Amino acid sequence: MQLILPRLAQMLFVLWVVATLLFCMFRLMPGDPTVAYIDSTFTEDQIQQLRKTFGLDRPLPEQYLIYLRNLLVGEFGDSFHHRRPVLEMLGSVLPNTIILTLSGLLVAYAFGTAVGAWLAWKRGTWVEAVTIPTVLTLRAAPEFWLGMVLLALFGFKLGWFPSGGANSPGALFPNEWSRIASQDFLWHLVLPAATLALYLQGLPLLLMRSNMLDVMGEDFITMARMKGLSSWSIVIRHGARNALLPVATAFALGFGASIGGNVVVETVFSWPGLGKLLVNSVAASDYPVAQGAFFIITVVLVSMNFVADLLYSVLDPRVSHGQRR
Amino acid sequence: MDAPVDSSAPTPRIRRKLTVAAITALAFATTLMTLAGVADAQGDRVRKLVLISGAQAADPQEFQAAQLIAQEWRKLGLEVEVRGLPRPQVSDIVWYNRDKWDVTMWRMVGRPERSDPDELVYNLFHSTTREKGFNFVGYLNPEYDKIAEAQRSEIDQAKRKVLVHSAQDMIMADAPYLFLVYPKNVVAYNSGVWRKDTIVDQSGIGVRNFWTFIGTTPVGNQKDMVLNSAEAMNAINPLYISGAIDSWVTDLVWDRLMRVGPDGLPKPWAAESVVYVDGTTVDVKLRPGMSWHDGKPLTVDDVVYSFEAPAGDKSPMYKPFVANIAGMEKVDDQTIRFKLKAPNASFFTSTLAKINLIPKHIWEPILSAQLQGKTAESYQEQLPIGSGPFKVVRFKLQEEILLERNAAHWSAPKMDRWILRIVTNTEAAVGMLKRGEVNFLSDYRGDPKVLEDLTKADSSIELAATVDMGFRFVAPNLRRPPFDDVNFRKALMLAINRNLMAQAAWNGYAVPANSHVSAALPFWHKGEQFAPNLEEAKKILEKGGYKLVGGKLHYPDGKRETLSSLN
Repeated sequence: MQLILPRLAQMLFVLWVVATLLFCMFRLMPGDPTVAYIDSTFTEDQIQQLRKTFGLDRPLPEQYLIYLRNLLVGEFGDSFHHRRPVLEMLGSVLPNTIILTLSGLLVAYAFGTAVGAWLAWKRGTWVEAVTIPTVLTLRAAPEFWLGMVLLALFGFKLGWFPSGGANSPGALFPNEWSRIASQDFLWHLVLPAATLALYLQGLPLLLMRSNMLDVMGEDFITMARMKGLSSWSIVIRHGARNALLPVATAFALGFGASIGGNVVVETVFSWPGLGKLLVNSVAASDYPVAQGAFFIITVVLVSMNFVADLLYSVLDPRVSHGQRR
Repeated sequence: MDAPVDSSAPTPRIRRKLTVAAITALAFATTLMTLAGVADAQGDRVRKLVLISGAQAADPQEFQAAQLIAQEWRKLGLEVEVRGLPRPQVSDIVWYNRDKWDVTMWRMVGRPERSDPDELVYNLFHSTTREKGFNFVGYLNPEYDKIAEAQRSEIDQAKRKVLVHSAQDMIMADAPYLFLVYPKNVVAYNSGVWRKDTIVDQSGIGVRNFWTFIGTTPVGNQKDMVLNSAEAMNAINPLYISGAIDSWVTDLVWDRLMRVGPDGLPKPWAAESVVYVDGTTVDVKLRPGMSWHDGKPLTVDDVVYSFEAPAGDKSPMYKPFVANIAGMEKVDDQTIRFKLKAPNASFFTSTLAKINLIPKHIWEPILSAQLQGKTAESYQEQLPIGSGPFKVVRFKLQEEILLERNAAHWSAPKMDRWILRIVTNTEAAVGMLKRGEVNFLSDYRGDPKVLEDLTKADSSIELAATVDMGFRFVAPNLRRPPFDDVNFRKALMLAINRNLMAQAAWNGYAVPANSHVSAALPFWHKGEQFAPNLEEAKKILEKGGYKLVGGKLHYPDGKRETLSSLN
């Protein structure tokens, strides 16, 4: 407990700093949220009325205090544009985003670690000469391009998968769970998740490969060899288990980073998710939604960081939180 | 100040006196020189002008047009910089800093209620909207004000037409706008799903309109219309003007007393008849037997409430449209009498065809109690209830809007469901049309050529391009010299080749514009031929006293440049 508390305090501090930065950032940006209404038939009185409704007529320090207080009680306010509670708006896209991110990441990491370990074993062969450049190319290719290629091939050309959205037009479900569990949803998930996986697989693969190479040179592997263990047992039980540690960290951090960074995939596949909501709200100076979305992303990122730390000490007893220091 | 202070070292007091004398003499000499020079001093060189445009990525057509225009203007000896900015930033400068900018690309968009010319004729150039309203260019002409006011209260259409024409003449002569094009709306649909002869082309709006949605007939078993929108919806609310796409939905879910017909003229809709008793009295007879989507009957009380609700402060966006109503009277169970404050020619279009009929039993408790100081805009019904030809089944603003036909409506649609998909990827939307995932491409912002090729490859895809009632133009800031000079503006106007704009910037999907009343409104539009003429432009500048010095344009003699270019 003593080890976790300081870490928690650190997390809270980071969140406060981010919240403050968010507040300042949006208020320093050019443009006023009411500007987005320009072409409607608004009079000056109506614009003033709007500013009042949004609380934009109050002094900045006061706006800041209200903002912090609301954050503490989990109150993100109402969207300027949609006039809906921000939490509700985030809530409606969050499941889509989490599922897309998780499935993309899981596929990428399962594939990446397996192939990475295999490539370490195959070091110096023609397999490596072919695979590594391919992996690097996929990693370096722009995400939107990968998405468009998959879309053009499997969507437009072959017609195996739908060209966008998270569900078929007009599909009705009794509740959110049955929607997500439906075959229709999975069918729509395949292409965006595959794009994300192709894009993300490079990191775990290369990481796993180089870790494996390091680990395989260590003394305890030599020791295992001397004990006469099978090569399978050496690679999996002794090599891979140790090489996996940084990959686990990368996974946790990757989850935090991709949750808001899927804008491109979401736009290409018209996937209703957090990233797109974020981009739209920034473009429209919809402060509450943008702040809320960024904040959620920060929370996920920081807690994933925390999880990664804890995970590390579980996976590898050699790493502990200052106990022995 | 060092000259008078010499080595003789006078007392501080004398030194001060000397200094004052020296400064006075210097100032005097300068004034004299200036005065003497006025008669034949050459005017200053015109400063670098900054032409504001939308960013290239966001609006390639506008940016391209701005580049072409700058090129022509440079031939007049001007230094012109095109500056592409994000849309909100453009609005911020042009709308809220009215004395800061020189000239900007701008647009007015087409909306059904703009098929009456009043809004554009009055609001764009009337002096009352100069400070903060639509007259952002700062046009000031008492004569124009008179005409704009006169056409507003003239109920005789023929007489009003004469007034609207002379308003257009005046704008053409004064050139407060440099018109470019009326763009064409491009949409496509699958004629294998929707019968081509049942698609309605609404004047100035295109085939994506209310009349198509209620009237089009399915060819086969596919009875769901699947449409696309490139951006998410804001709200579905009869008291909130929240966006163009949102209005497609409110149009279908809520009835109105009148509707703007395919010909652009208002016609009775939920009203059986609408009659002028005199200039300020209108009798409206309601269609019998109407009901709300929740089954309750639609009564005269509901109608009266629908026009009363926006009059307070709960629906600021609709308030202007009922501002001219002095009172309403229930004549009998079918008839309402509207008393107007002043005669208003656009009352049918901008009030009766604009206000959504809302159920009193739902909105009265909300507006009176639940909102607590907020406006009706902040309220979103879980399941919106109207009386229109379509009912809301479900809506996810980021994803999909699902409507189904209201079989009980007197004008029930032929299709089963109307499904609007949010598709953020333009290429994907085209792919969806090809594959049948979308059968009515209602929102297309890409290159029209792509669609054209698609129709050639697939005979069931139909392309429909209609001249919009909105228009694109270059807006000079009349508050700032040299744009305050009509000769200068006219020269700039003559230098712009509008045909080239339509062809090169808008790829042929636009027609040259010459008036703020679009060619899409043939009754009101005053057509006038216009030919670009660079030589004529140069002559006008010369006549106005402008001079070319070393290829650079200078103001008329004696005129100083007092402003600096936009940073």
